[in-house]
Amino acid sequence: MGNLFVKKPKITEVDRAILSLKTQRRKLGQYQQQLEKVIEAEKQAARDLIREKRKDRALLALKKKRTQEELLKQVDQWLINVEQQLADIELTSKQKAVFESLKQGNSAIKAIQSEVNLDDVQKLMDDTAEAKAYQDELSAILGEKLSAEDEEDILAEFDNLESQLIVEDMPEVPTTELVPEEPEKMDLPDVPTKAPVASNAETTPTKRKVLEEPLEA
Amino acid sequence: MQKLADFKLPQFFNYPPYFTLQPVRDTREKQIQLWKELILDYCKSQKIFLIGVEEDFPLFSNSAIDRSLSHEARETFLSAIVGEGRAEWLDKGHRKCLVLWHRIQDWADIILQFVRDNGLEDSVMTVEEIRSGTESLGTELQGIDRTILMRALKLLENKGKLALFKGTSADDEGVKFSV
Repeated sequence: MGNLFVKKPKITEVDRAILSLKTQRRKLGQYQQQLEKVIEAEKQAARDLIREKRKDRALLALKKKRTQEELLKQVDQWLINVEQQLADIELTSKQKAVFESLKQGNSAIKAIQSEVNLDDVQKLMDDTAEAKAYQDELSAILGEKLSAEDEEDILAEFDNLESQLIVEDMPEVPTTELVPEEPEKMDLPDVPTKAPVASNAETTPTKRKVLEEPLEA
Repeated sequence: MQKLADFKLPQFFNYPPYFTLQPVRDTREKQIQLWKELILDYCKSQKIFLIGVEEDFPLFSNSAIDRSLSHEARETFLSAIVGEGRAEWLDKGHRKCLVLWHRIQDWADIILQFVRDNGLEDSVMTVEEIRSGTESLGTELQGIDRTILMRALKLLENKGKLALFKGTSADDEGVKFSV
């Protein structure tokens, strides 16, 4: 039954007892059958004797039948006892098995629990609570400082960005204005052939216009 | 088809030639094959474990056609079965034959299955109980031949599945299972 050294299951005294009981049960069963046969035979014999009008012999046969019937009743009772004991042995061995299992389970729980000390657990919980409280405090302090510093930084960054954007915007404007001026410049050489003084007057105001306009933006 | 106590006999049983041992090798082999199967099937259905060569085995003669197997024929067929491992001669003179329509290994498996089905693990039973107890009624184990049963149990004992033991001298032989 699980023993590593012996291949076959071990035979205990309990097993021998069970074997004895079972053998007895079988033998009693056979005895019952035997008695039943005798009873039947005697009944038949009695019937025949009555027919032959041999009253005293018939009565004898009936008496014998009666004894056998009493014996049969007793054997029935014995058989019940044997069965009862077999059932009891079975029950007790099962109870023992359950008890063993529960005992084992109990030892297992005890062993695991012994590894975890109650005081250690309490200390651990306290340490954890302390650490958490410290952390909360730290967060609170850090949180305050940050809000004051933040404002200054943000304002500084804002000014920075603003000036950057202004610088970026300026170069763009000239390119769009310059294009419509060029065709007028091209025309200029033509004009002097007719009236050189007039064309000069025309060119300078336009040049001034070119220089002035970027500044206005 | 003829019937022999609820067993359906094959057609060839009614053909006289099959009752004579055929001289031609091929025919004889076919004949042996048919008889082998017939004998094994019949024994299985009727739960016959022992055949006496001299005895009046129902298969050995067919009165309807007035034919019966000669001693030589019987021995030939039975020897063929022995050769296949489905039977054993119990004596040197080839007079009694133990028919193993289940091999001993098969019987061992049947016993193991029986133990599992009835929840008999770790319990004790008498050998007689296996043969004729209430649990084995209706199973293959009912009325099994004692020799075959003991052989199968010994086989299982060698495998460590059970232990055979005897109690006091008046007790039956006991078996303790631990499948």
